[in-house]
Amino acid sequence: MQWILLSHPAPTEKEQPMKDLLQSICDKAKQRGASFADARVFESENTGITRQDGRADKLNSGSSRGLGIRVLKNAAWGFASVSDFDSDSAIAALDSAISMAEASATRSEEGCVAEMPGIQREVKAIVEIDPRTVSVERKMAALEGYEQAALKVIGEKLANSIVSYTDRADRETICNTQGTYVRKESIRTIMHCMFVTREGNLLQKARSRVGEPVGFELIEKTKPENFTVKAANLAVSLLSAAPPPAGKFPVIFHPSITGLLTHEAIGHNAEADHILSGGSIIEGKLGEKIASDLVTIIDDSTIPGKWGSFDYDSEGTPGSRRVIVEKGVLKGYMHSLQTAAKMGVAPNGSARAQSYASRPIIRMSNTFIERGASSFDDLVKGIDLGIYLRGGEYGYVFSERGQYTCHAGEAVMIRNGELAEQLRDVSVAGMTLETLNNIDMISDDFEMNMPGMCGKDGQWMYVDNGGPHIRVKELVVGGQA
Amino acid sequence: MIDNETLRKIAQAACDSAISNGAEFADVSVGYGKSLNVDLESNAIKSCDSRTGGGISVRAIYKGGTGWSSADSLTLEDAAEAGKNAASLAKLAEPDPDFISLPKPAEVYPKVEGLADPRIGDLDIKDLIRYSLENIDGALAVCSDAIVQGGFGAHYGSGALVNSLGVSLVSNGSHISGHIMTIVKRGGDVGSFYDFDIARVLEDFDPTEVGAMATKEAMKFLGARKIETRRMPVVLGPLASGSVFDGIVGNADAEGVQRKRSFMMGKLGEKIASDVITITDNPLINRGMSSRAWDYEGYPSKPLMIMEKGILKSYLYGSYTAGKAGVENTGHGTRGGGAASSNVIPQLGQMTSEEIIRSTREGLYINMGGLNPNNTTGDVSSSVDFGYKIEDGELVYPVMNAMVGGHFLDMLKNIDVVSSDYREEPGMIMPTLRVQDVLVAGGK
Repeated sequence: MQWILLSHPAPTEKEQPMKDLLQSICDKAKQRGASFADARVFESENTGITRQDGRADKLNSGSSRGLGIRVLKNAAWGFASVSDFDSDSAIAALDSAISMAEASATRSEEGCVAEMPGIQREVKAIVEIDPRTVSVERKMAALEGYEQAALKVIGEKLANSIVSYTDRADRETICNTQGTYVRKESIRTIMHCMFVTREGNLLQKARSRVGEPVGFELIEKTKPENFTVKAANLAVSLLSAAPPPAGKFPVIFHPSITGLLTHEAIGHNAEADHILSGGSIIEGKLGEKIASDLVTIIDDSTIPGKWGSFDYDSEGTPGSRRVIVEKGVLKGYMHSLQTAAKMGVAPNGSARAQSYASRPIIRMSNTFIERGASSFDDLVKGIDLGIYLRGGEYGYVFSERGQYTCHAGEAVMIRNGELAEQLRDVSVAGMTLETLNNIDMISDDFEMNMPGMCGKDGQWMYVDNGGPHIRVKELVVGGQA
Repeated sequence: MIDNETLRKIAQAACDSAISNGAEFADVSVGYGKSLNVDLESNAIKSCDSRTGGGISVRAIYKGGTGWSSADSLTLEDAAEAGKNAASLAKLAEPDPDFISLPKPAEVYPKVEGLADPRIGDLDIKDLIRYSLENIDGALAVCSDAIVQGGFGAHYGSGALVNSLGVSLVSNGSHISGHIMTIVKRGGDVGSFYDFDIARVLEDFDPTEVGAMATKEAMKFLGARKIETRRMPVVLGPLASGSVFDGIVGNADAEGVQRKRSFMMGKLGEKIASDVITITDNPLINRGMSSRAWDYEGYPSKPLMIMEKGILKSYLYGSYTAGKAGVENTGHGTRGGGAASSNVIPQLGQMTSEEIIRSTREGLYINMGGLNPNNTTGDVSSSVDFGYKIEDGELVYPVMNAMVGGHFLDMLKNIDVVSSDYREEPGMIMPTLRVQDVLVAGGK
């Protein structure tokens, strides 16, 4: 079943009361002196299954519905949210948002928004198999198949296995005083696995995940070799991996770590709210060379089928492809309506909110370094003693100082221009500007398969990241040997 | 607000529905609350926010298989629907023969004072704005070009927890908090730091100096340098030592041990840390941030000695893991899996933190960050988020881009001292401690 994108539809009989209510909130906000207001309804429903040690004994489902209202009055922002609202509680929330804005005016950061033409759009999720139409039993059977394939690899070395499935449908409706009314639906499906292996007293673990903004067809196109079997093989091999060394080394990043680096080291720094608040190491460097010539960094929310993709952000602005760095030169940032107004540029649809109880804030979407021209073998050949890091897991950054950390699930020693012994999981740390300038070779391959959640200001948001293999002249490796 | 008895009725409706729809056991948690927040950026107010809402979560169990259903709606009809959904899922879930029972109601629950201060629920946004502006001004008084961000928030809520064996509990809870992050720039050199204050009752909330303290520390962080890679003692300050205690307590979760994915497996009764480490988990501290009279399943809370002079004395159990192991429930149950610690209290030592630093000839002082072990392997590979080089017993310069690595159990054995002084927040004792012979990786 294919859903199609609709434009300028007439509201259905069911949707009209919601549209009337949200429009009424925006009209009342203006009557009460707001220069801008938006009212967002966020609804979601999800189903999850966890299969552990051969039993799918945990099933869950959930739903959420609520309203969030932002008001900008006398250049001061106020926000209020209410769960499971009706028209009375919605108007009470508006009263609250206005009183919050009036209180903010005590000493507010000058709030403003870019003027945008009103957009009227409805976006339906594009899926082949709506997961809400698939039985729980069928989902459980799929997980069993993935687990069994992995257990054949692990055999007697198994200590613990977990395979889980989650599907989620989100519907966000945005109405604002600029005449925008956008109603968008997205469906995401994701599976995670973790295998713990044991040999004597030694335990190791490996993880993998697959996720896309699609429906149950994700299961039909995901082969165990690319999901659970991959993680199982890694969990077994890590039992004989050596502890990683500590110190400064030339490193090669697998695309999954390239993605982490791009997200943590530069992505957060290029969020315009960090730039304007003094919380970015690249503040004031627009138009300057901040990375090696080889580096072009993009954040693109328009890529079909990617975890971080979307049509409209939570302010009703269309998503877009944003060039952050081009051949080493800082070209642009990710913007909200406010930061675009403050910097005198066009908004580029980067403001998303986790739920109705969260204000839209600037988030990355799909962030990556563009592929280069060298072969992976060339990257390796140039290193006498270094480390190839694989299996990106997580990272974080202090964007104001540009100090970041990335964690790799495994690594490989490089000796005399060749891949050598396998190493266990390890973190690396660096300084953003140093690392970007120390990228001296980029491979001609590309991968972006890191569906995950980014945490910022207490909100979690869907993001993806990736890139080619990259070589960094030196980085601090936090090993134990 | 929705009163406690209404929340109890909603929870009971969901529980009854789960049982009447075929679940063998059920428990339900319902909550409702209000929060006010002031969000700060660029030395001003970014936004003032008010949030009101609640939700229900139903857990139904059938032959040990579990189904959960959650929703934001708090009507009796929707509660019954949630109960029905949870029961349907539980009946589809595969059976788990290791499940024994949910907790039965206790005859007596402990009394813990100071968990809910109605005055926090009555605070106006102007009160939080006052705290915020005082701290911005306090930061600027220390450094006139400091860049301040952060926030102040207050929350008051009510909840009910009901299960099919007769547990029926209601409670209120409050907390107030403030945090400030200050950035100071001198050309391309950037110093930053973060400080906070938290409390359950207004008397314990003293945010007066948070902005000033964060700014003083941020200024000390200018001129950070890289260091060489080598082994040295590492001193963890009050904002970092918690990673050691949490690393012990968090990995003493019985579920991780029973599932064979924890490096603490098989360590009960063993000496796995030095003599100076004794840790109690105490949920009964009046006004404590993590205090509770019962755990998340409704089992009565009590203090638990987790480690005594380096010997692991207990894992943390809830109803499922205690039943599986055939031991007494320790009151650390959650409804979603895993154990929940409460106030983790270390035993203090004899030397002050100043004496510990003075007695360290060369080392690294971690102001913020920690040892955060991999919870399966116990390996540590962590960044030093904020640290100082120690030379001849003094903190001589801030450090950038350094990491620590090793195995957590080796590090525990190498802890040679815990301080006598500490930073205190309600229910939180945060001392300084020193780990000898740690591999520090630096960028120099």
